[in-house]
Formats: sequence, C-alpha cells, structure tokens
Amino acid sequence: MKNDKILNKTEIEKLSELGIEESDIMLKSSIDLSFDGEYIEGFVFVTKDRLGVCTKELSDSYVNIFSGVKLKDKETLPVSDSLISDIALYNISELAHLRLDSYIGSNVLTGEYEGKPVKIAAFTNRYSSDMNVLYRKLRAYVKGGEIPQEDAEGTSENETEESGKKNKRSIFARTLRYFLRYKLQIIVLFMTYAISAVVGVAWPYLTGKVLFDHVLTMDDTFLAKYGLDGKYTLALLMVAITMIGVRLIQAMSNYMQVFVMAKVASDTVRDIKTDVFNAMSKLSLNFFVNKQTGGLMTRVLSDSERVREFFIDGIPMIFVHGITIIATFTVMYRLNWKMALIACILLPLLVFMTVKLRPGLWTLSGKRHRAEKAVTAKANDNLTGARVVKAFGQQDTEMKKFMHPSNNLRDAEINIVKLRNRFSILYNLVQEVSSIWIWLVGVYFVLGTKEIELGVLITFVGYVMQLNGPMNFFSWVFRMWSESINSAERLFEIIDAIPEIREKEDPVRLEHPRGEIELKDVTFGYRTGRPVLKNINLKIREGEMLGIVGRSGAGKSTLVNLISRLYDVNEGSISIDGTDVKDLALKDLRRNVAMVSQDTYIFMGTVAKNIAYGNESATREDIIRAAKLASAHEFISKLPDGYDTIIGASGKDLSGGEKQRISIARAILADPKILILDEATASVDTETEKAIQYSLRFLVQGRTTLSIAHRLSTLHDADRLIVIDGGRIVEEGTEEELNKVENGIFHNLLELQNKSLSLGSGF
Amino acid sequence: MAENTLNIYEKKAEEMTRVTFITAKDVFAQTDGGFLSLDANGVHYDRVKVVRLFPFSDANRYLSIREYGNEGREIGIIEDLDAMPEDSKKAIEHQLTLSYFTPVISKIYSIKDEYGYAYFHVMTDKGECRFAINMGSNAVSKLSDTRLIIMDVDENRFEIRDVEVLTQKEKRMLDMFL
Repeated sequence: MKNDKILNKTEIEKLSELGIEESDIMLKSSIDLSFDGEYIEGFVFVTKDRLGVCTKELSDSYVNIFSGVKLKDKETLPVSDSLISDIALYNISELAHLRLDSYIGSNVLTGEYEGKPVKIAAFTNRYSSDMNVLYRKLRAYVKGGEIPQEDAEGTSENETEESGKKNKRSIFARTLRYFLRYKLQIIVLFMTYAISAVVGVAWPYLTGKVLFDHVLTMDDTFLAKYGLDGKYTLALLMVAITMIGVRLIQAMSNYMQVFVMAKVASDTVRDIKTDVFNAMSKLSLNFFVNKQTGGLMTRVLSDSERVREFFIDGIPMIFVHGITIIATFTVMYRLNWKMALIACILLPLLVFMTVKLRPGLWTLSGKRHRAEKAVTAKANDNLTGARVVKAFGQQDTEMKKFMHPSNNLRDAEINIVKLRNRFSILYNLVQEVSSIWIWLVGVYFVLGTKEIELGVLITFVGYVMQLNGPMNFFSWVFRMWSESINSAERLFEIIDAIPEIREKEDPVRLEHPRGEIELKDVTFGYRTGRPVLKNINLKIREGEMLGIVGRSGAGKSTLVNLISRLYDVNEGSISIDGTDVKDLALKDLRRNVAMVSQDTYIFMGTVAKNIAYGNESATREDIIRAAKLASAHEFISKLPDGYDTIIGASGKDLSGGEKQRISIARAILADPKILILDEATASVDTETEKAIQYSLRFLVQGRTTLSIAHRLSTLHDADRLIVIDGGRIVEEGTEEELNKVENGIFHNLLELQNKSLSLGSGF
Repeated sequence: MAENTLNIYEKKAEEMTRVTFITAKDVFAQTDGGFLSLDANGVHYDRVKVVRLFPFSDANRYLSIREYGNEGREIGIIEDLDAMPEDSKKAIEHQLTLSYFTPVISKIYSIKDEYGYAYFHVMTDKGECRFAINMGSNAVSKLSDTRLIIMDVDENRFEIRDVEVLTQKEKRMLDMFL
C-alpha cells in the first residue's frame, strides 16, 4: 500500500500555519501507531531543515486496511476524516543517532534531539519498507549529505507487485498452453468424449422409445423408413445389433480415451514439473532459505497433480456434460414436454443438496488431512528422537502426548464418516423418490391419459438417472477450477521467480584465472537494514593462504559465500583477477571456486560418484589420488563395497569426519584455483585433523585459499590472518604480528586456546 | 599475562552464565524521551529494553531487561512483573504494549480464501481491521488448541485468545485453520 505524497486540504492548511508548504516536503512516509500502542493515522515528513511527525487520532468507525487486502470494485481506500491532533517538529541540525528499532509487533524510529534520546515515531510492519527508505535517506541527509534521488529500486518493486497480480484468465491460458502442445491427442480425446456424449443420449432412446414403442409394438410406419415393414424379427435383430454396435463403439472410444489420457496427463505433468525444477535450480540460495524446501517439493508435486486433474478431467467434462444436459433436455422436451417438466422437478433438489452439503465435507476432509499430518509428525518426531526419549525415560509421557493428535484424528474421521453417511443416505433417498415419482406419473400418463407410450417412459427414466452425474459435476467443477488455478499460480510463482543472482548477458569468461581476489567497500546483509558485513576492504594475492578468524556470527561464512557469489553484495564490489564477479560467467566462477564447508552434503550414490561430483570425466586413478590426499582412502577401502559403496540419504551412514573427508576429496578433484575452507576440519578428531592438514598443505599449493577456523592451530600455515568482528575487519597481519597486539582479539584467543590445551593435557 | 587473559575470559564466562534477578528494590521509570530507565545495584541505565522470555505461556513473568547498546547485554531478569512496585510496573508495561503490539481479535466478520490468500475482516481490541494472510506459509500458528496467532503478509500479528468464545458461525469460518 504505497502512500502518495499528496496531502489533503486540512493537512496542507495545518502545515502552512507552521510555515511549511507542500512543495517543501522532500520525503514522506505513513505511520500508524502511537507510543501508547494504539492505532493512529499519521505520517513522517522531511523538509529542508526539519523533520515533522503528524499524528491524527482515529474515529471509531475507522477500518485499518493492511497490505494485500483487495478492495471491492467500487471501494476506495477510506478517506480519513480524522483531524490532525498533533504535529511534532524537529530541527534536522539538532538530530543525531537516528535508529530504526524493530520489535515483535511494532517498529520505532528513535534518535537524539538536542542531545537527549527521543522516540520519534512508531509504526507497524505495513509501513516498514516505506519507512526504511525514508530512514536511509534521512540518515544520509542528517550526516550532511544530499537526499538521494528517487532511485529505480522503488519503481521496480512496484512493477513486480503489479505483474504479480496476474489475473485468473491469463493463468488459465498459460496452463492451457502446456496441454495444447499435444494437439493431436487432445483432438482424439475430445472425439472420444463426444462419442460418449452421443452414446449417452442415444442409448435410452434406443432401448426405450425405439425398442418398446416402435419395434415391439410393430410400428410399420416407423419400420418402413428402414425398409423393414413386416419383418419384425429382423427389426428386433437389427435393434439388438445396433445396441451391441453402440456399446462396442463406446468401449473402443473409452479404451482410446484412457490410453490417450494417460499419455497426455503424464506428459504435461512431467513438463510442468521439469519447468518448476529447472526454475528452482536456477534460484539463489535465498529462495530455499526463505521457503521450507521439504514442504516446497510436496507442494510442487501435489500442485501439478491438481492442475492436471482439472485440465484433463475437468475441462473436457464441462463440454461433455454440458452437451449431455442440453441434448437430453432437448430430446425429452421433444418427446413430451409435460413429462419432461414433471420428471425434472426433483433434479434441482439433488443439486441443491450437493451444493449445500459438499463444502462441509471438504472442510472436514481438510481437517482430517491436517489431523493425519499431525499424527505422522508426532510419530516421526518420536521415532527419530527415540534415543533421547529412552535416555530420559519419557516413554510414558510421550505415549500420552501421542494420544492427543491421535484422538483428534479419530474424531475427525468419525465426523467425516457421519457426514458422508448422512449425505449419501439423503442423496440416495431423494434419488429413489425422484425415480419412483417418474414411474408413478409416467404410468399415469401411459395408462390413465394415454399421453405417452411405455417406451417413452423407459427413455425418460434412463435420461433422468443419467442427468444426475452431469448436474452434480457442475456443482463442484467451480471449486475444482479455482483450486487448480490456485495451484497453477503457485507453480508459476516458482517458474517466474527471478533468480537474484543472474548472469550478465555476454559474461566474461574465466579460462585460466590467477586467483587474485579483491573486495572493495563490501557491505552486505541478509535483510535490508541489517548489515552483516560492513565496508570490508581486502586484497588477497595470487596463491596466498588467508586465515579468517572471528566469533561465531561475526560474518566469516558470509564473507566467503559472497566470493563464490551465492549472494550478491549490497554495496561495494568483489573482483577476481580484476573482473567484478557479477560480470563473470557463473559456470566459470563456480568451477574455479570450490568450497569445503562445515555442512557437508553427501548425495545419494556411490563414494566414487560423490568424490567426482562436478567432474564427470575423472578417472578411477584421479579419484583414488584425491581420496588419498584427503585422508579418505583408508576408511573407504574398509567399506564393504569400497569406492562403489552407496552412501547418502538411503545408503550407508558415514560419520561426520568421513563425510568431511569426502567433501575435501571432492574439492581436491575439482582442482579449483580458489579454495574456500569453511571449518573444513571441524568435525574430525585431532589425529585425522593432522592428516587432513597435511593433505591440505598439498592442496593449497598454487591456489588462493581462504580458510575459516575456530581452532587457530589449523591456521599455522596461513600467510596472513584477518580477524572479523561485528562485520568489520578489526585485525590483519601474520600470526606473529597479530600475537603481538596486546589485548587484541587474536592474541586473547590464542592465549585462551593454548591455555586450555595445556590444561586439557594436564588431566 | 597469560593468566590475565584467561581470567578475563573466565570472568566473561561467569558473567554470561550467572542469572541475575531484578527485584522490587530496583527502580524503573519512564524518561522524557519516552524510554525506560533503570536504576539497579547502584548503576543507572537511561534506556533499557524489555524482552518477554515466555511471551505466550507466561507473558508477565520472566522478563529479561537488556541494555540498549553494548550488544543488548542482559542486566537481569524480573521474575514476576506483578511483584514490582506500581510505578515501575506501569513504566515497564508501557514499553511492552508498544513492542509487543498485537491486536486481539474479538469478532470475525468474514474470512474469504482465494488463490492462496485468506482475507480477514475482524474487530480487534484496537479497532476494526482488514488484513490478508498467505495460506502457503505458516501464517496461523496454534499456541494451543484454542489460541491462535495470525500473521499477515507483512508479519503483523493478530491474536485469537480463545476460539471457544467465538460464535458457531465465526468458528466455522476459522475451521480451515483449526
């Protein structure tokens, strides 16, 4: 909900009393909270020399409208009739230390005014992005700069927002395109559907009116049309043959239908899934961090299934059932309009019943689904944590805790059966009644008034029964439609998500890099306004080994993530061999920068495949060499199937240290020019660490290496060390130099680690 | 000297692991600028932060009092807000109302779900509100069987204290989240 800069009349008047004209206002953003924690209306504005906060109390009838709420067609945002209750003004020259603090349900802009801390304005998250923009610009201005011009950022945000609101029709058209790739099959499908519709209408006519009224009553005028007058047995035979023929055609068309449908359905679902998966693998890390990956995958699967359901089962059925209904009504009307009216009198009741009762069934089945999920989650949680449960002797309490979701599921199940039972009994009852009703009225018409003949009656009964299905179908197809569009929208959201890390058009290739890295004024934060790294300047020479030291959360891992461009910097630049990483071909960048990180990942597959990941052409010898260098060869040889042992999710479980060594071997085999070791030896024992360090010594030769370590002993070989604290480089130099800095972070850490080591050996 | 640095760390560790309680003798007050100040153990803090350690299960007990700067170091914990003197309590509560601003829903006018979003129109203790939530994310968290926290697309929070006191009709609207 962007607010415009236009003020209303009373606001202009009120401000001009204070000597401020509308044109003086350079920045403005809405606020909506008072310091007492009540909703208000108001805005913060900045003029050349003043900061103003204008607040208005709300009238009782005011409705707070938050982001994302769709206003009905004629609705406009409520124009506030609330009066300005207060305008606070601050001289910008007296303002300092502006800060934006965010709390659980509110944000507060604070600062120091005339040397005293003050709260300036409070607002909810609905205005936090607007206020962030104002805050950043204002802070720059307070520090003596200019107010930055409206940058492209704001407008581009707006655009994506609008294109995001795709309308249903365009989503439908886009989904349809997936299916229209299979034109021939779709045409065949429609033909088979048309056949079923025709058979559906013809069958009752054939078995009712033609058989009973014309053939069995020996209606010569009718039979004469086919040259069968007088030959009654032949006529009967012909009817029988036609009936068999019709059924045969129907069976054949059904067979075709299922056959073709299976192909189209699986192909389109595959196409959609492929597109989604392709789009996902291009997305930046951020996407996966923000969305839960596990849930994402199941959603993609079920969503594509739902889309298929509607397009393959739904849309053709709309036509088939539509045609069936129209044709049946027309034929019935032509046969006998009175009978048609009477026969259909109870149909609306059936439709009404489904419309009324189905939603209840849906809600209940949704409930059951959630209850089921809760039970599975609880069971899963318990089984995975079985060790802890047993260790703490909590079996009984856990069993009790399990009862709760379990009971919920039972209740949900019972409720759904109850309702379904009621529904089907009622439904069948009405159906029976309507059928009896037709027979009653029909028999009266046949025997009493002689208005119709027996065959017509039988045809009618057939038709009315046959109408049930299509009528019901239309009662829920709209829900099916909205759900599938909903699913399609979510899928497209993933397909359309623009990767934050994009390769430049015509990127610079990096064939034989030297491995020189330079960071200039790098500032970066995962969330805007909360920088993790601040103004980092760093130059790493070709072949240098740089050790990075710092507390957890200091920004070490973030720094190395930026170099391999898993994220893009907010400000400043990172260059390799003098070329900005943003200009480099991603493929080259990733090939030349390898990372061994603290969270190792083992893919499902053999040990050899895992080591050769990203390097398909590696020979067996290469793999063994790499494993040797990573001190992994020993334990791999002892595995039952050697290098062919299946590891990963469903295979043999490796220990943390073993996994780490495999990922080191992977990096060795990848032979990158730039090597990043992010706590590479964190989860191995001291002995293995020594072995790995020995192999790392080979590994780092001729490469530029960045090594992050908590254990400072790991960094003995480093040419240079930097200490990061609070997102800044606070110390820099060789180990010796840093150790000389009295009370420096490195010095203290080293002391502490040496001390505790010697203490440890004392025991 | 080595002894010295080790002592510094040990002191730090001791400080980090110690639980300090703030009691009725420590005085909180509201400053002119609208902040909360604290005088505890002879030290004056002119701006402190209050953090609820059990915001849902026990909102008024175990409040962590933290420095504004200095990486938000904990000064101490208030065991029970109700045991504090009236003035201190008032000043603390004033801070809490704003920082934990969460309107409580008292009446549901309508909930419509459409294309992955649900649109709420409700009355809260802070006035009438209309907001949208994303159905894909976990926008509704169940604190218990009857208590819900609902988060709108901007992560503004709304609370339903007790589902049971709602009318049948309102409950039915909420059904898809229960």
